[in-house]
Amino acid sequence: MTDSAVLQPGLQQPGWQVDRFIISTALVGLALLGGLIWLETAPFMVALFAVGTMLGMALYHGAFGFTAGWRNIVVKKRGAGMRAQLLLFGVTSLIMVPMLHSGQEGLVGAVAPVGTSLVVGSFLFGLGMQLGGGCGSGTLFTVGAGNIRMVVTLVFFIVGAVLGSMNLPWWLDQPGFDPVPLVNTLGISGAILAQFVGLGLIAWWVNRIERKAHGTIERDELLWKSQGHGVLRTLLSGRWPFTWAILILAAGNALTLAIGGAPWSITFAFNVWGAKALEVVGVNMSQFEFWTWDYPAMALKDSVLTNIPSVMNFGLLLGAMLAAGLANRFNEASRNRPEGRQFLAAVVGGSLLGYGARLGFGCNIGALFSGIASASLHAWVWFASAFVGSLIGIRLRPWFRLPN
Amino acid sequence: MEGTESMERAYSRARILVMLGIILALILVDHLNSPTFAFNSGQGNVETALTQRDETACAPCGAPCPSTRD
Repeated sequence: MTDSAVLQPGLQQPGWQVDRFIISTALVGLALLGGLIWLETAPFMVALFAVGTMLGMALYHGAFGFTAGWRNIVVKKRGAGMRAQLLLFGVTSLIMVPMLHSGQEGLVGAVAPVGTSLVVGSFLFGLGMQLGGGCGSGTLFTVGAGNIRMVVTLVFFIVGAVLGSMNLPWWLDQPGFDPVPLVNTLGISGAILAQFVGLGLIAWWVNRIERKAHGTIERDELLWKSQGHGVLRTLLSGRWPFTWAILILAAGNALTLAIGGAPWSITFAFNVWGAKALEVVGVNMSQFEFWTWDYPAMALKDSVLTNIPSVMNFGLLLGAMLAAGLANRFNEASRNRPEGRQFLAAVVGGSLLGYGARLGFGCNIGALFSGIASASLHAWVWFASAFVGSLIGIRLRPWFRLPN
Repeated sequence: MEGTESMERAYSRARILVMLGIILALILVDHLNSPTFAFNSGQGNVETALTQRDETACAPCGAPCPSTRD
């Protein structure tokens, strides 16, 4: 959950006010870009663009993210955000692990090596989350909703990601081992069960902290009824109960796998955008080993409209913009302009997010969410390391004048 | 559903349009210089990334397995 998302209360106005300019602009953007993708690529890319749009709306309306959820359990001792994430991982792995091992050709899970690169990268990412004010998905959807500070975070996220791509080969040469898909040793049912046990243990730990601090547990993650407004209005203008967001995000990741052949990921696109920008100013990216590997080299050479993470990110940005317009909250988080240290936090946090995501084989979406949905060991290591980094980031936030 | 014409806006409409216009222009320029556009324009022997995936890679970013590195 990003800083701005936490502050989003339920709509209080008696009438439903929308921002027509933002809605119109987002719809025109969706039509233009969707049309271009349709004309120049393939129908499945248009479908992925639509899935990205849906995910952007779900993230914004559900105020669903990771950063504040992790901070809330540490600072406020409230665990609804964490439990919502755990539920999301559980539901999605129940759908996607069998999909990935159904024998259908062309489906690839989010698996990655386990080693120094993963541990260091995810630790830095966790640290960056708290300073930058968002994770991979959180940064994107708040930028789409017009948050200026998060634009700074995104720019440095891209800078850090490109630097990470230059260094990743060195990090890969440090101690580590090949990917460990849990299905290989435990089978499909065993892998799902083992992950449920892991998620259950974390939920138990979260509940224990909350009960110890408050005596009771707020079960916000189980709310499924819209608060105060009808279903249609809540669907369009927010705020969604957690369960709606969980179901849409789980369905979105499964659809991404079914349509695109691989689970949802975000940050590889930032590498591509940054590397393309450097090539424009004359940097030969093929001097760096990362950009000689088949997939990055192909992505760098070809149009961003053929790159699935890029296309989905464009949809996500516009989807969040549309959602913010429907909620009449576009740019709301930027009404109070951040001062010097807060901008510095965005610069440092964004850079750590980008560098960490590249070393850690993805962000909270590509490595954690999609990794657990693929029953890969690396996702669990990522989770633990990023959480430790996040703890340090939470401690550093007051120096940067960021509220805890 | 009501509009917000009378409400104070927290942003500049022109700035939003310029930013989105720049992003769209960058996407277009990138696409017009790509193998996929060349392929769509009828140029043969062009390798596009659209349906290609490196299934031998060890990570979603295309990284090789540690065991294959010297």
